[in-house]
Amino acid sequence: MKKEHFLLPLLLILIWQGLSSIQVIPSYKLPSPVEILLGLKDLLILGVPPGNLLHNHVLYSLYRVALGYAIAALLAIPLGLLMGWSAGLLRMIRPLFELVRPIPPLAWIPIAILWFGIGIKSAVFIIFLGAFFPILLNTISGVLSIHPILIEAARTLHAREKDIFLKVLLPGAVPSIFVGMRIGIGIGWMTLVAAEFTGVKEGYGLGYMIMTARDIQRPDEILAGMLVIGVIGLLIDIGLRAIESRMIKWQ
Amino acid sequence: MKKIVLLILVNLLFSTAIAHGQPVRIAYLQSDIHQLPCWVALEKGFFKKEGVKVEVAGIFKAGPELMSAFAAGALDMGYVGVAPATTAVANKTARVVVLAQVNTEGSAIVVKKDGKVQNIPELVGKIAAVPGHATVQDSLFRRALLKFKTEPDQVKIMVLKPPEMIGALRTDQIDAFIAWEPYPAKAVTMGVGRILASSRDIWKDHPCCVLAADVKFLEMQLEKAKGVVRGHVKAIDFIRQHRDEAIKIGMKYTGMDEASIRMAMENVNYTPVLSVEGEKEYVDFLTKLKYIKVEDVQNFVDRFMRPEFVKEIIKK
Amino acid sequence: MAIRETPLGLDFLELSKTFPGKGVRESVHVLENIQQRIENGRFVSIIGPSGCGKTTLLRIIAGLEKASAGKVLLDGKELAQGTEEVGLVFQEYALFPWRTTLQNIEMGPEIKGVEKEKRRSKAMEYIKMFNLNGFENRYPRELSGGMKQRVAIARTLIMNPRVVLMDEPFGSLDSQTRNALQEFLLRIWGKRGDTIVFVTHNVDEAVFLSDQIIVLSKRPARIVKTFEVGLPRPRDRTGQECNEIRREVLKVLSEEIK
Repeated sequence: MKKEHFLLPLLLILIWQGLSSIQVIPSYKLPSPVEILLGLKDLLILGVPPGNLLHNHVLYSLYRVALGYAIAALLAIPLGLLMGWSAGLLRMIRPLFELVRPIPPLAWIPIAILWFGIGIKSAVFIIFLGAFFPILLNTISGVLSIHPILIEAARTLHAREKDIFLKVLLPGAVPSIFVGMRIGIGIGWMTLVAAEFTGVKEGYGLGYMIMTARDIQRPDEILAGMLVIGVIGLLIDIGLRAIESRMIKWQ
Repeated sequence: MKKIVLLILVNLLFSTAIAHGQPVRIAYLQSDIHQLPCWVALEKGFFKKEGVKVEVAGIFKAGPELMSAFAAGALDMGYVGVAPATTAVANKTARVVVLAQVNTEGSAIVVKKDGKVQNIPELVGKIAAVPGHATVQDSLFRRALLKFKTEPDQVKIMVLKPPEMIGALRTDQIDAFIAWEPYPAKAVTMGVGRILASSRDIWKDHPCCVLAADVKFLEMQLEKAKGVVRGHVKAIDFIRQHRDEAIKIGMKYTGMDEASIRMAMENVNYTPVLSVEGEKEYVDFLTKLKYIKVEDVQNFVDRFMRPEFVKEIIKK
Repeated sequence: MAIRETPLGLDFLELSKTFPGKGVRESVHVLENIQQRIENGRFVSIIGPSGCGKTTLLRIIAGLEKASAGKVLLDGKELAQGTEEVGLVFQEYALFPWRTTLQNIEMGPEIKGVEKEKRRSKAMEYIKMFNLNGFENRYPRELSGGMKQRVAIARTLIMNPRVVLMDEPFGSLDSQTRNALQEFLLRIWGKRGDTIVFVTHNVDEAVFLSDQIIVLSKRPARIVKTFEVGLPRPRDRTGQECNEIRREVLKVLSEEIK
């Protein structure tokens, strides 16, 4: 993060503010940076809808994502290791997954609501779908990318199947698993916000907040909300990368 | 230099000519029986008879979406709830003025037919659905709660689009909903719900939908706007005098059965006359809810509502 | 075929290997009737033209492949799969990249279930023995080729196999490192006395290191000739005796390569 990295964005923001101030960019179409910051203040203090403050929206959204993501990872990683290890299993299951994978998670929303109702369960389901496949596929490719000679080396050290699984496949696949996890959380976070557009029982959630800001015609709050969503997504990614580089010192 | 000036002039002339030939872009809400005058005017050619070509530029799921379209400059006129219109103008995202009323009343709070909720205070701790924040129904619902001495934040209010409300009620996802007709009527004819309170019970004669026009469009095409308003008034007359035919048109545009439409229309009062007092109440209410901030209410209402259009037509 | 009375050694009995064809690929007949005894405690090199099947032979002994016909016996008993009696050092080191030097060396004892303290101290012994001090906590990517090979050998030897198989272990190293490692290997082996079966391309290397050199033919490989190298160690690489033996081996080899 050098100083130069901030120069261009800063310049763009200044130009934007300038154009907004002289109304070349009308504020009802695109609020100025200053207005967006004021909108952020309203999100924090006043809340959208009034009384529902930003930090609660953030917490609810994070909670939903964390839940859906955890379920996805807990299922996808072991399954991916098994599918990478057993060609037979891979052949059997793969066609089913390849059929389901291209369906966008958001297309599942009507079915999710039918199965799980309006509320956290359907949101978690949608996020699970979004995060599951990247983690699974990257885990499988992680296992497949392990040089076969490493497995043979383990065998010559008298490893049984269990040892190969835990001491070779799992650590060897970790870099790919992390790639999958980063992609998965990115998709999960994006999917959540859109999933919340359709219905939120608890009255909290960043997607719901933005939809409400739209309802009450506050584009400044809409953009401030989008900014918050983007920043959180960025922080999550940075966090994961930090963990990743700690765990993969060996690459 | 001369060439450039010529080019600009030709362009201006051309676009004005085109503008005069362009149809008026009009929008309404999906399956909202309040908007019947619009459908009648389209079906019976009342706009055409006034010399105005009209095209339907959008059908929206709720008021706020329609107002967004106004903000984007995609609409010239629209049939929309007065509450979302007020919110958009007060928050300066859309610049519209209201030329005529469309209806008063015409919504209802619906609960499960044999459910636990028998009266309004029993909604405490339950989940109720409204079509959107700052809609007429949202305001009505909160008003109903307050009228029966219940604090709105004691009820879980969530946003659902009206087509999803009946299904959600049926599967007990929600305990109550408030929507525009014909959804309450449909819930009853389906045997799913019963009316807990109609909007008449909550606020008699409350204004609901209005006919709004984009300010720029009004400036440039005043005659066309007037023509649309005349067609609108004619349509309301028609509904009063030819009820059965109006019902058929309602069925066509909502896709619902005759029984539901008939029941729905009993709950709706079509009139073109604007209620300025009613609007003042909305402004107060929306300000109290902190959706908008209006310093000078009289000024706002004076510039927002233009009752003279209809008055002029009715006088004739 | 007769087996000597004292069954103390590695015996190949009529060993053959054919890889079956798959689809358009024809079957490949790699080893043909390999019959040989390697006495315990000897350093034996196997040399032959490229692709003749030297590696396949090692893999069969190590249990990574199954012979199509024939057996491998150790002290009269057939070798069980995954037996601890045999260890294999790969040409490409095959170090686990996510494990440090120490953890790589510990891998065998870890799999066996040796408790942490014991296996750690044992591994540290080998670190010292193999001059890897200071590099215990480094990862393979930080090590030089020569170091990596030392780690690979240490990893195998810590399991105390009776037979150590080595598949061209110094093939990818420069000649200086290779020479240094050859001397190092001899020193270690001198103290231990395992049987070493050492596959190589390099006649100089075979002559410098081995008690016995087995020359294989082109595919399908048979044993063409075996040479006894009775020279005392340390040997003079460029000395007359080594040269003589080298010449003879090369003569036989060049016949095969034709």
